[in-house]
Amino acid sequence: MKGVMSNKFVITLYVLPALILILLLIYIPIVLTGYYGLMDWNGIGKMKFIGLENYIELVQDKKFWQSTWHSLLLGIFSTVSLVGYLVLSLILASKIKGANFLRKIYLIPMLLSSVAIGQLWAKIFDPTNGMINRLLVMLGVDNPPLWLADSNIVLYALFIPIVWQYAGFYIIIFYAALKNVPEELIEAAKIDGANPIQIAYKIKIPLISGVIKVMVILAIVGSLKYFDLIFVLTGGGPNGASEVMASYMYREAFSKYNFGYGSAIGFGLLVICLIMTWLIQKLLTSKEDVQF
Amino acid sequence: MVKKKTVSVLMSLIMLVSLALVGCSSSSSTEESSADDKKVIKFMHLWPEGSSNAQFSIVKDIIEEYEKEHTDIKVETEILNPDQYREKLKVLASSNELPDIGMTWSDGFIKPYVEGDMLAPLDDIVDANLKDAFIPGVKESYAVDGKTYGLPLELNISYVFYNKEIFEKFNLDVPQTFEEYKNVVKTLADNGVVPATVGAKDGWPASFWFMYLADRIGGSTILTDVIHGKAKMDDPAIVKAAEEVQNLVDMGGFVKGSSALSNDDAKGYFMNEQAAMFLTATWELPNYTTSPDVSQEFKDKIGYFKFPTYEGGKGTDINSYVGGPGVGLFVAKDSKVQKEAKDFSAYLVKKWGEKSVTDAGVIPATKVDTDNLDLAPMYIEILKDLSEASNVTTYFDTQSSPAVSELHHDLVTALFGKQVTPEDFVKQHADELAQEQE
Amino acid sequence: MSKIAYETETNATLLAPYKSSKTLGTRIGYGILYFILGVIAIVQVYPLVWLFLFSLKTNQEVFGMSPFAFPQDPQWGNYVKAWTAGHIDVYFFNSVIYTVVAVLITVILASFVTFAITRMYWKLSGLVLGLFMAGYMIPLHSTLIPLFNIFKSVNLIDNPISIILSYVAFNLPITIMILTGFYRTIPREIEEAAVMDGCSVHRIFFQITLPMTVPVLSTTVIINMIYNWNEFVFVNTFLSSDKWKTITVGVNNFVGQYLTDWGAIGATLMISIIPVLIAYFLLSDRIVEGIAAGSVKG
Repeated sequence: MKGVMSNKFVITLYVLPALILILLLIYIPIVLTGYYGLMDWNGIGKMKFIGLENYIELVQDKKFWQSTWHSLLLGIFSTVSLVGYLVLSLILASKIKGANFLRKIYLIPMLLSSVAIGQLWAKIFDPTNGMINRLLVMLGVDNPPLWLADSNIVLYALFIPIVWQYAGFYIIIFYAALKNVPEELIEAAKIDGANPIQIAYKIKIPLISGVIKVMVILAIVGSLKYFDLIFVLTGGGPNGASEVMASYMYREAFSKYNFGYGSAIGFGLLVICLIMTWLIQKLLTSKEDVQF
Repeated sequence: MVKKKTVSVLMSLIMLVSLALVGCSSSSSTEESSADDKKVIKFMHLWPEGSSNAQFSIVKDIIEEYEKEHTDIKVETEILNPDQYREKLKVLASSNELPDIGMTWSDGFIKPYVEGDMLAPLDDIVDANLKDAFIPGVKESYAVDGKTYGLPLELNISYVFYNKEIFEKFNLDVPQTFEEYKNVVKTLADNGVVPATVGAKDGWPASFWFMYLADRIGGSTILTDVIHGKAKMDDPAIVKAAEEVQNLVDMGGFVKGSSALSNDDAKGYFMNEQAAMFLTATWELPNYTTSPDVSQEFKDKIGYFKFPTYEGGKGTDINSYVGGPGVGLFVAKDSKVQKEAKDFSAYLVKKWGEKSVTDAGVIPATKVDTDNLDLAPMYIEILKDLSEASNVTTYFDTQSSPAVSELHHDLVTALFGKQVTPEDFVKQHADELAQEQE
Repeated sequence: MSKIAYETETNATLLAPYKSSKTLGTRIGYGILYFILGVIAIVQVYPLVWLFLFSLKTNQEVFGMSPFAFPQDPQWGNYVKAWTAGHIDVYFFNSVIYTVVAVLITVILASFVTFAITRMYWKLSGLVLGLFMAGYMIPLHSTLIPLFNIFKSVNLIDNPISIILSYVAFNLPITIMILTGFYRTIPREIEEAAVMDGCSVHRIFFQITLPMTVPVLSTTVIINMIYNWNEFVFVNTFLSSDKWKTITVGVNNFVGQYLTDWGAIGATLMISIIPVLIAYFLLSDRIVEGIAAGSVKG
């Protein structure tokens, strides 16, 4: 058995094309990013080698750590929302009427590009004409919040559209995972008198734990490098209150022409992602992956 | 044995990949040479047909005319929207791949490109073809160390545009002084009308207010002096200007939550008559005069006034403006068709000057003879103002380096959102400027 | 909310075979459940409705009125503008080609890799998986300038191959990660039996494993498709000829120096969402079918 399934020729054949592609198109850029981080370079003209100066500055840069914290908060928020998506997926994957239709509908926001979603939410959050505040004024609230203009709530206000936008992504994966759970196991448990919550908790969730683990990693890493909607809606403002790592990187490299420093931020982001992934792996591997 | 196989597979894969790459590269290179012996000038601009139809059409017509006159030249355009244009220019510059002709902004934007030795000086064609063609002082915005690297296409100055109907309703007169302006604000705010709309999220629209106040309080050269290290950012006049901005915010002088509104969001309040005033630049003129997308009823309600003077301020001349050149043309230093590119860009600038006001409602950087043109009254007035202007202070963010400019935008947003104090506002500027002048 | 809804739902499922014994309680439970599911559905569908209304508005209406409001005078002209001034006719075709080709390559390559990593025995499998995972962690804008130089050095600038290769490379990590999660839940017995029968690895992969993963493959196809369809940073940076650009460029062509034509953007977005919507609805049904097909084979 092991003989066939450890055929080195086949392994090479299967892995190599993809590996070459990511080595060329992802790893060379990663190495170059780290290298540009050693330079004083505005992106135009000559580079000047300055050793670790950018990285030392990065470690001491309050703005960087603030943006890191914001990104981490988004990561935590996204991870917590996974619970909601999982519950929703459990409902949709069970045989209730119309589940199929509802599931399709729930994914629609995911199909829209960030340009559209950004516009929509700018309209929703507008302090005077926006949907939320019009509703609040109608309900008799005198001074409704300014949402994106209020540096104390802007970050949390931004989490809502981000989490909403990605709902479909996670639901579709959880759903597919749940559909993969063998029907016989569930039937058997029912016959044994297990109630639905027990079935979900004891059978369904453990069986898809591998998928859940991957989703946690995706949610956290995805949040750490998240950029689109924040850039469209607030540009990291006001006063840096919604700055995240990727928007900070972009602004330094492309708007301020500090390409060297921007690269150092990009590289720092990668390192933080790696550390977080390692931590999640450590935390989650205590529960053995279920194999059968 | 397994090893041998692995190696052979590896080799064949690498061969395959490289073959594919070679195959593509050869096909693309043949394509280039097949452009039937014509010299190709690559021209990148930022007026897509969709959003800037008038500008797009003018440029397209000029190219066609030029190609008819010069049968050995082909002008190939690549068109991107302004944000993406900036991003792509950056990537192209980093790889030394600039197009033969492209667009650039003045002062702070063009400087790194000149210092990186990317652009060709254009004084020769200015002397030959465009002598005295430009409005005085505009071309100089594209000069570094005495050499001109950009041919300006646009010139904008800023005014306060206002809704005459709203002003009449509350018996308001056009304010001449800042004190009068504050009274206007007070009346409007008391009556629940948004006095002025501003898209402070984008930074630059809000900076108009700050710049004008600094101009009126500290004199018309103060901001330029700060950039050149001749004045200090923490000058009391500048602190005062920042304080006055926040006074206006406190009075309810601006639309609510302006620090989260983009210029477009903010403009909506004015276009829908929810706000009485909008401090913006002359690029908005088509919306108040010729644009077919805006109702005549609305256009008739719109007037403009010059930014009021400040009692006791040094900038006593109401004919001093905040404004600046918009985009101009550059020619890449490494261009293989540099001579042709220079010739075409001079041609473009000239023809652009003839057509831009009438066809696109854009005020060109070249002198306009209004006598023979059929223009909306507002244009005639503004072109007259421009000829009588005592000073045009180029936008602070245009003059400063990209890093200071970006910081300035962030800080102005925070100033309008009251997330920084005026003192902190000037201090953070001063620190960044000092760091740069080291 | 979800907890209650969930309990009622699962009760309902459990009781489903005994329809006659439906109590008032379960009916109320059903009611609440459907109410909540319905509200969520409205929230999720609303953007599409909004986009449609948006696409018929003038710029003035877009900014002045509530996003709920209907356009006073529907601007069907926005669609004409999108089609002509936005060059959608050219861009649309490119979008389809790049998306389809990139998705196919990504999903096939990713399946190969995942199979090798989770099903076959070799020392470096963990390391290789780690390499692919780390590939997901680099922010896209950090890679732009290096990537441009790489493509320049092999003469692939302004060549659609650069776009397809980038899409494949940047989607491989996430696709492989999702696939690994699933492969680990699929029972090994079937494959083991196949090995006993003397099947080759290729046959096991193509005839047993791949069919069993149709649900997750459909899922990754959907995700890849959406990513590629909406992508524009690579397209803008690596391509310059108009004939190669994609539909997202059409959207961005309505963003101007001083004026942005929001109505036309809405129309372009509306046109561009239709094919994805259809493809998504079709693929989405495949998610359910996979396991059945797999167990038949087994």
